Amino acid sequence: MKPAVFDYARPGTLVEAARLLADTGAGAKAMAGSQSLGPMMNLRLARPGRVVDLTAIPALRAVTRRADALVIGACVTHADIEDGRVEDVTAGLLPHVAGRIAYRAVRNRGTLGGSLAHADPAADWLTALSLVGAVAELRSPRGGREVAVSELMVASFTTVLEPDEIIAAIRVPVAGAGARWGWTKLSSKVGEFAHGLAGVFADPGRGTFRAAIGALDTAPIVIDDAAPLFGGPFGERLDQRLDEAALDRRLDERDVVDDYVRAMARVALARAAAQASARQASAGEGERA
Amino acid sequence: MRTVALSVNGRPAAAPVAARTSLADYLRETLSLTGTHVGCEHGVCGACTVLIDGVPARSCITFAAACEGASVTTIEGLETDPVTDALRAAFSRHHGLQCGFCTPAMLVTARDIVTRLPDADEARIRAELSGNLCRCTGYVGIVAAIREVLAAPPAAPAPVERALGPVGARTPEPRTGPEAPSAQLAQPAPSGVAVEESDTDGAADIAAQDWDQVMKDGTRLAQSFTVAFPPSTVWRFFADAGRVAGCMPGARVSALGVTDGRRQSVRGEVRVKLGPIVGAFGGVAEIETDEAAMSGTVRGLGRDANSDSRARVVIRYDVADAGSGTPGGTRVDVTLAFLLSGTLAQIGRSGLVRDVADHVTRQFVRNLEAALSGTPAAAPDEGVLDAGAAARSVLGARLLRFFRRLFGRG
Repeated sequence: MKPAVFDYARPGTLVEAARLLADTGAGAKAMAGSQSLGPMMNLRLARPGRVVDLTAIPALRAVTRRADALVIGACVTHADIEDGRVEDVTAGLLPHVAGRIAYRAVRNRGTLGGSLAHADPAADWLTALSLVGAVAELRSPRGGREVAVSELMVASFTTVLEPDEIIAAIRVPVAGAGARWGWTKLSSKVGEFAHGLAGVFADPGRGTFRAAIGALDTAPIVIDDAAPLFGGPFGERLDQRLDEAALDRRLDERDVVDDYVRAMARVALARAAAQASARQASAGEGERA
Repeated sequence: MRTVALSVNGRPAAAPVAARTSLADYLRETLSLTGTHVGCEHGVCGACTVLIDGVPARSCITFAAACEGASVTTIEGLETDPVTDALRAAFSRHHGLQCGFCTPAMLVTARDIVTRLPDADEARIRAELSGNLCRCTGYVGIVAAIREVLAAPPAAPAPVERALGPVGARTPEPRTGPEAPSAQLAQPAPSGVAVEESDTDGAADIAAQDWDQVMKDGTRLAQSFTVAFPPSTVWRFFADAGRVAGCMPGARVSALGVTDGRRQSVRGEVRVKLGPIVGAFGGVAEIETDEAAMSGTVRGLGRDANSDSRARVVIRYDVADAGSGTPGGTRVDVTLAFLLSGTLAQIGRSGLVRDVADHVTRQFVRNLEAALSGTPAAAPDEGVLDAGAAARSVLGARLLRFFRRLFGRG
């Protein structure tokens, strides 16, 4: 089981990478850690004529701390986040998510940017980074632009990226001290792709109360103001306040018709909500103590 | 094709590979490191897991070309790693393997658990093992083995220094020269025979080896035979390395040297054929003799380039009067210890090897007797030590009976 023949390029700069990708006749595809594209090429589901390996570009492996955001290079790996080699600015949410992606041997090479660009509907980062309000910084020969991660994916394995456009970094807002979150990934085996995926994130300091639902066989549903979904502001026993009719409307809007997928979405969201509320309660106790 | 240079098990490797060659295929097919197994080839079964820059990664979905400058460690390179050593023993005790297909990668992942997660409980161990499929054991023995090593871990290797980004993928800046890739090596280079042989008489190569390890860890055999010539004649013959080698099936001497009065060096090749397995071990040997005791020690090392297998052998022989059994004859006691590494080490079944050694000894004695009596060998020497041919042939069967009778072992 071998990939079809392809040309391989390993540019050292973003400019060179974009130039190699812009040559549309070559059937070029950008590659980062190869943990999603690699299997697809081995199975010959993907047959790019040219692979442009982005992992030798130093800028894509850098992390920059700004006052209100952390800018994470697109080739930073899941394990880098899991292990804390990258500062956490999300009250622990991103390390928690990272440690539950696939297997350790995959996390040592799989990257944030690669996962976003690959846009597998069941993958974790599109949903998780949308949940924290992250923004993707894109680069192309025409310059740069920014796209909210929640707007990046348009359909399964389809993004708004132009052929010669590269995700350079992901900008994650710094959460306040009072931030609370819940995250649920439903799988029948540890490490496999999610059957149900949902998160709830509240950052009172920023006035944020967001919910995100993934693994829908299409782009995640990101609800920037989750208050209507839970019949009010973030607080205790959130799962019991989940408005299932409101959730059904959201799923209908996205044409999610499969009963199993809808049920998984409902259960995942309720569990994530319960978890976020529990953190709220325990944090409250901690503050009283 | 592009030449990919990286460090594998502490040794530099550089070979041209097609862009679509996975690291797993590069290791197995180009470097003959077949301890890394290939199963599903899409990152799920975990059989291909190796250490890249000191941490586990999937070699089936990592392209070799993307590992330029990386440091890769396969199961073959973990021979002297203390944690892996403890795990191997624990896997044996707890029946942590059956068919062995998943085992090399299972050990790589188990090593990661022991070194990265010292407080892992059973649930965590099982979660971490989810990326390594075993279809034989039901994981019970594997989990028990890992728990045992976690309870009394050997001194862990120093934590791996990591840059951000995919392991194995180097950015151009940090690479200052060909030495840079090995700077992150987390394990010592395996103690094998040097691949590059010097063009000297080989004394340095011989001196560099850990011969005690061969005696301790090697497969050991003892053989005795008698020949119908007086001890002094036999001893004089044994003092001539070239003539002794001439009696050795499949051996060919290309150069002889004398290091000092008691030592001789020999450069040459031994060809071994065992059914479909053919090896040509080229290398050097040193023969040290003790005239007064009529005993000698041969220390040899060789490498089969085709299989990238290495052999180290220590042979001790004692020449003495045969006594009443064979009046006027000589008894020769030979003890042999050898250690194989590389691809051919996989067939290191001691029973099989003993059988081959028996056969070699019989041929050697036959040739020795012929040489001492000045007559041609009893059977044509094909120039290759063919372990199976003699047993298959009528002549071989007859020879076998003959020598068994001769040695009183029939």
